Amino acid sequence: MAVRLIRRAALFVLTLLVASIVVFGLLAILPGDVARTMLGVDATPQAVAALRNELGLDRPLVVRYLEWVGGMLHGDLGTSYVTHQPVAAAVSDHLQVSLILVISAMIIAICVALPVGVFAAYGQGRISGTVLSALSQLAVAVPGFLAGLLLVIVFAVTLHWLPASGWVAPIEGFGDFLRHLLLPALSLGLIQGAILSRYVRSAVLDIMREDFMRTARSKGLTPFRALIRHGLRNALIPVLTITGIELAALFVGAIVIESVFVVPGIGSLLVQSVQNRDLIQIQGIVMVIVAIVLVINLLVDLLYAVIDPRLRTSR
Amino acid sequence: MSKPTSAAVRPARRLRIAAGTLLAGIALLAAACSAGAGDNAGGDSGSNNGTSGGAGNQTLQVGLGAAPANLDMTQTAGAAIPQALMYNVYEGLVKLDGKAAVQPLLAKSWTISSDRLTYDFQLQSGVKFSNGDPFTASNVKFSLDRVPKWKANTPTYLSAIKSVDAVSDTEVKINLKEPDNNLLFWLAGPLGAMFDPNEVSNLATTAIGTGPYVVDRYNTNESLILKRNDKYWGTEPKLSQVTLRYYADANAPVNALRSGDIDAVYESQAADQVKQFQSDDQYKVEIGTTQGITVMSMNPGKAPFNDKRVRQAIVYGVDRKAINTAVTEGLGKVLGAPVPPTDPWYTDLADKYPYDPAKAKQLLAAAGKPKLTVDFNVPNLPYCQTIAQIVKSDLSKIGVTVNLHTQEFPAVWLDKTFTQKDYQLTVINHVESRNIFNYGDPDYYWNYDNPQVQKLLNQAAAAPGDKPYADDMKKVVDVLADDVPGDWLYNAPNIVFAKKSVTGISANDNGVSLDLTGVSNPS
Repeated sequence: MAVRLIRRAALFVLTLLVASIVVFGLLAILPGDVARTMLGVDATPQAVAALRNELGLDRPLVVRYLEWVGGMLHGDLGTSYVTHQPVAAAVSDHLQVSLILVISAMIIAICVALPVGVFAAYGQGRISGTVLSALSQLAVAVPGFLAGLLLVIVFAVTLHWLPASGWVAPIEGFGDFLRHLLLPALSLGLIQGAILSRYVRSAVLDIMREDFMRTARSKGLTPFRALIRHGLRNALIPVLTITGIELAALFVGAIVIESVFVVPGIGSLLVQSVQNRDLIQIQGIVMVIVAIVLVINLLVDLLYAVIDPRLRTSR
Repeated sequence: MSKPTSAAVRPARRLRIAAGTLLAGIALLAAACSAGAGDNAGGDSGSNNGTSGGAGNQTLQVGLGAAPANLDMTQTAGAAIPQALMYNVYEGLVKLDGKAAVQPLLAKSWTISSDRLTYDFQLQSGVKFSNGDPFTASNVKFSLDRVPKWKANTPTYLSAIKSVDAVSDTEVKINLKEPDNNLLFWLAGPLGAMFDPNEVSNLATTAIGTGPYVVDRYNTNESLILKRNDKYWGTEPKLSQVTLRYYADANAPVNALRSGDIDAVYESQAADQVKQFQSDDQYKVEIGTTQGITVMSMNPGKAPFNDKRVRQAIVYGVDRKAINTAVTEGLGKVLGAPVPPTDPWYTDLADKYPYDPAKAKQLLAAAGKPKLTVDFNVPNLPYCQTIAQIVKSDLSKIGVTVNLHTQEFPAVWLDKTFTQKDYQLTVINHVESRNIFNYGDPDYYWNYDNPQVQKLLNQAAAAPGDKPYADDMKKVVDVLADDVPGDWLYNAPNIVFAKKSVTGISANDNGVSLDLTGVSNPS
């Protein structure tokens, strides 16, 4: 266990290092310049050069890279070229919003996927199973932003039940917070739920063929009870892997959904920073996202052990 | 970890896992409770649902397009910063009204010497900055002396200023090197904003002015919240709080208005929604002008556009009316020169070059280029993409093949097309007021070096009085309209959608500010 943890930690650090080089290198060759982008069409080349100098962008790449990485080691992600505010503060502020959105979406996805997947598997070969399967297949094909727009047209523009866009922090009014959260979380979560339900279905189908399920049924359990009592826990292992991967995918999907709903999450921040060529902020955001994905993977690994006792002893 | 051996252990373990998960969840929620609440959310609740009862307690939420990158217009470009801050938070000696005409603001009145080299301003007395510091003539000197340090918003527009003298607390003299008829116009823009010397160290996040509103909070890229300035020297504004909400997408603010989240949409890009709103009793629609010139520039420094006949052929060969209809539903004004309808030297030149493919072909043949292939750098903005498609199709009919190259706006376009001037054709809506003056700058990306235009522009700036000034500018326009370094397509409309209760928003965009001083919303 200890060896495994150390290995994981070393891999973690190495991945971050490689990511930092890749991110920095890619952004260095990206066309466009933050100084010119900030000063727009009504500034002289001299003004642009002066700003580049003030921002330290005229120094060698290696110096800038080392300074950035050195800062990160002290927990300092630098100061945004554009907003003049600390990157770490902006990232943490926006990240909290995205986390709320992504976790809410994940909860919705799981709440949809488990029953739909189980019933689709359980009803395999029957009308109910086929219909559920077809519906989830259909939902998988819908792009998230389209689902978002449809939800806005129905629930905001037509019915006036929910706001079309925007964000209210929980401390500013919990009811308002929920009202603003619901549509983006649904458009992200429902589709993810449909994707996840496909995996739940196939995992459950696999489990239903296992010997121990036959044993459970021969002990007198109904097929459904056997599935819930003995099958589900086993079926969850592959599902958990997928959930981990999908959680990372949700962060990416959130970028689009945040734009549709004008939610001040990490995705909106990233898009805006790229448009402004706010390199230092883009770097900070990407590094944080990389770290989060790595942590999710690590947690998924550790969670296996909780769900499957057999994995605990096998090293 | 030991393997559970008896059934009695298992519920306990489950409980522990459940409790752990719950605790983690609560911790997360607690940590995220202020998520998205902005930077200074600490004390006040910041709720925007202010109850609107008494006349002094109205609120307004306006949907806008591009967001300010930060609050410092001295170092950061973008019309969004002055649009939000000028006349509302910052004030200058003078301001522009809805017709883009100069009106008094911090200066009650002024006189101009007969040689047009000295401007003598009488200031309002008793004016205070929102932090309590007094505003006097010394602030005018401080602010204008500081303009050469600006990087954005073309500080050279005020380069005619030789010196600023604070004669008394309420009188200030501006001395010029050479006469400049544009001085008052530029003083009414961002360059004329008056600053408090104690508050210029962090303009990106702190904006302290003498205006009727103060910045309560800026949630970057999302919303700017303005609160009434209780120390305001002038008429108290009717709105106690204004929230400017920023939307990247044209339909998002319209949806927000329909669902009741906001009260108005200013400078809407959703021209296709005008008819629907007009037929709905709950809303009103106003359509005014902007200062924007959407221009397809033909690089006169590069073949084939170094030949005037080729440029004219392109202008004949592109159907500007069709473009105006496609992009603005016909609500914009078809142009023929780089002059918006509100400028004093505007004349309608829409029909100078009617859409005439036959004439275009003749001109191309005369230039010895019956077949042409040109590159068109197109910003990745919806209106630019629409224009590019129409231009490509129109020009194919006169034997010109157009290769479209989409460039990310602003970053890549500014780098390749604007800075490196590496283009044959490009298109953009120039929203900066009176951008016609850039045709006098051979270093500008328009690459237009015409000594006659430069001389006429200088002559106009020094003309004795408004009428001679406008007459001289008309001469500039005539030369440009004949020489066509660009195809000036249309002047974009300013589309305002609002709830019926909202009054006082100017339909015309003066190119500087969304002036909130006279706006009310007794919902």
